[in-house]
Amino acid sequence: MASLSEEVLLVVKKVRQRKQDGTLYLMAERIAWGPEGKDRFTVSHLYADIRCQKISPDGKAKVQLQLVLHSGESTTFHFANESTALKDREAAKELLQQLLPKFKKKANKELEEKNRMLQEDPVLFQLYKDLVVSQVISAEEFWANRLGGVTNTDPAQYKYKQEVGISGAFLADIRPQTDGCNGLRYNLTADIIESIFRTYPAVKQKYNENVPHNLTEKEFWTRFFQSHYFHRDRINTGTQDIFSECAKQDEKGLKSMVVQGVKNPLVDLLSLEDKTLDEGYGVCGAQPSTSNSNRTVKESSNYAIIKRFNHHSAMVLAAGSRKGETPTDQASETSSTDGNSRDSDFFQPPVKKVKLQEEYEDLQQENRPKTVPLNLKKSDRYAHGPVPLQSQQYTTSQDIINSVNYIQHEMANYKPNLTQVLSSTVATSAISALSPGGVLMQAGAQQAINQMVPSEVQGELKHLYVAAGELLRHFWSCFPVNTPFLEEKLTGHLEEMLQTAYNKFHIWQTRRMMRKT
Amino acid sequence: MCADDEVSLLVIVVDVNPIWWGQQAQREPEFTLSKCLDAVMVVGNSHMAMARTNKLAVIASHCQDSHFLFPSKSWRGADNGGDDASSSGDGKYELLSVANNLIAEEIRNVMSKSEYKGNSTETLLAGSLAKALCSGQEMKSRILVIKAAEDCARQYMNFMNVIFAAQKQNILIDACVLDSDSGLLQQACDITGGLYLKIPQKVALGQYLLWVFLPDLEQRSQLVLPPPAHVDYRAACFCHRNLIEIGYVCSVCLSIFCNFSPICTTCETAFKIQLPQMVKPKKKKLKQPT
Repeated sequence: MASLSEEVLLVVKKVRQRKQDGTLYLMAERIAWGPEGKDRFTVSHLYADIRCQKISPDGKAKVQLQLVLHSGESTTFHFANESTALKDREAAKELLQQLLPKFKKKANKELEEKNRMLQEDPVLFQLYKDLVVSQVISAEEFWANRLGGVTNTDPAQYKYKQEVGISGAFLADIRPQTDGCNGLRYNLTADIIESIFRTYPAVKQKYNENVPHNLTEKEFWTRFFQSHYFHRDRINTGTQDIFSECAKQDEKGLKSMVVQGVKNPLVDLLSLEDKTLDEGYGVCGAQPSTSNSNRTVKESSNYAIIKRFNHHSAMVLAAGSRKGETPTDQASETSSTDGNSRDSDFFQPPVKKVKLQEEYEDLQQENRPKTVPLNLKKSDRYAHGPVPLQSQQYTTSQDIINSVNYIQHEMANYKPNLTQVLSSTVATSAISALSPGGVLMQAGAQQAINQMVPSEVQGELKHLYVAAGELLRHFWSCFPVNTPFLEEKLTGHLEEMLQTAYNKFHIWQTRRMMRKT
Repeated sequence: MCADDEVSLLVIVVDVNPIWWGQQAQREPEFTLSKCLDAVMVVGNSHMAMARTNKLAVIASHCQDSHFLFPSKSWRGADNGGDDASSSGDGKYELLSVANNLIAEEIRNVMSKSEYKGNSTETLLAGSLAKALCSGQEMKSRILVIKAAEDCARQYMNFMNVIFAAQKQNILIDACVLDSDSGLLQQACDITGGLYLKIPQKVALGQYLLWVFLPDLEQRSQLVLPPPAHVDYRAACFCHRNLIEIGYVCSVCLSIFCNFSPICTTCETAFKIQLPQMVKPKKKKLKQPT
């Protein structure tokens, strides 16, 4: 029967299984069914074992729910309550839908990890085949040292996936096509819509407010593109538009970004301005003022474009760094995220700016770890090569004197006699020694071993070698023998393992030798 | 064949160790230093005759010094054309006859001048090789060593430096060994890509030189020549000078030992190795018979 600590989430009466009436219980970790009147569960499955659930189609008379397990077998429950069968089944289905994914992840995660490791590393895969499939090592031992990452759920491994950012040109990519007469056709894909929502949370908010209550999606987008919010020169902002609010909020956001400024003390944006050098170099004339009053129409439209451009870029960057969090407070988002805020640690008042510039890590004296100086006592040992210290022959000093005198005597009257250098017999014997098959040419007949052994044999030998290395690793990991468990493992289990491996190798060897002969 | 304007230098280093040659002359009178030098001249002449741009240099390697036999300081080249008896009357190419005469004269000087002092009985081969390397700087060159006496242990470091310098400069070192195998020269030939040959018959030296060592590198690829010998690259342990295959190396000073010792004798570093813990045998309590 269910243990008392198990929490029962749902009880469904009048559920038939294999033509028997009973009750279905959904617990915290498993689903169970017991026949009516009995105390025990005849059917009990852990959620982790369930691969998926299936339901019978809505039109059918029988309302059924089928559970398919990982092992392949399936169990079918028939909801037999006349009035509430469908509702019961839906309730069970919903609950299962919520619970199954939680357990699925745990079980499969390990398997997935194992599969991934085997696929990524062919050497590991070969080792697995050699050792586990041929039953030299059991699978648990094989994975014992290698799966450290999974149970620790090392998040570093899963950071390989990067989020896809937003293309800065996403609005420009919606190239409008002329629609025959005076109309424009905008092609919106789901990607573009998502980009718009991520970059301009204001638009997303408007969308959520208006669609599908007030406007259809099509109407919303039509208005979006028609509004001057979208168009470049947003001068007339007075029109009644659902997007006029967005424009105002954007202005506010932009102003707050400007006020916040750049936090990097080494970047001084305020000192940048349009300076003129001379006529023809740079902008001539009065400095542009920031107030709206004395602007020409052209200047103000340029100003509007540039402002929009900056705002758009800032929003794209902000959206990328926001990483898809749902916007809670709109004002805080547009104001708090700008590209330079990462340097907030280094924010110093300008007085300290110079001091900061002086301290660059790279240029400072290195703090190398302290080393011990080399103290060679007998350095002449290095000068001596693999030549014996004493010469083989010992010549007496009398011998030396004799030899020297002899040779001096001989060479005193040396005259080259180049016609008598060789006799023909001597020459022919030398030639025969040098010809193929001669005395001096014997060594060439030997081939390197790797040319004589076929490559498949070499490959098999390599696999065997790697497998033997793995077994040796298990062997050495048992040392130092501290516990009786290790001792027993060494003497019992490993012995067996090594014996199996040796037999395998022996079989391979005889097979290869027989093939040769 | 080779380009006409490519200068190719052959440097022949001859071991003229007087002690060895003196003993050799007494052992085998039919092959003495004179015969050896004749063979050297033959191969030198042949080299110069192969192409107009080929050049020759001959160095005599003695116990006390190394001496350039050719070209020597007294050679003035074309200036000295007529006045000495260089025209030997047999229509020989002048350059060859001049070279031969110079070599003969120089070797006579070298051998007669050697007043034997000190105990060195070994040939200063490393020095000769170094001189040969210096002379072959601007042109394509190779060195042919004709070795008579044994290797000298004290020259090992210099020898290895010369070998690596030659390798860097792409200068081949060939070796023709008359008597005992030389490990150093085997390494030199292996590293620089030259040929090592220990000849079985000393009297046939000329034939071996012409057959094996006269062709240069490009021509050798077309010929069937003695295969390279297996070189023993084993290191010698610092304690006994035995050649070992597996040994112990100090991680601080990289000196090689054949046996483990807890203190390196060269740099006096102490090594601690954790010995495996001894598992104490448990005393089994005997069951009391009931």
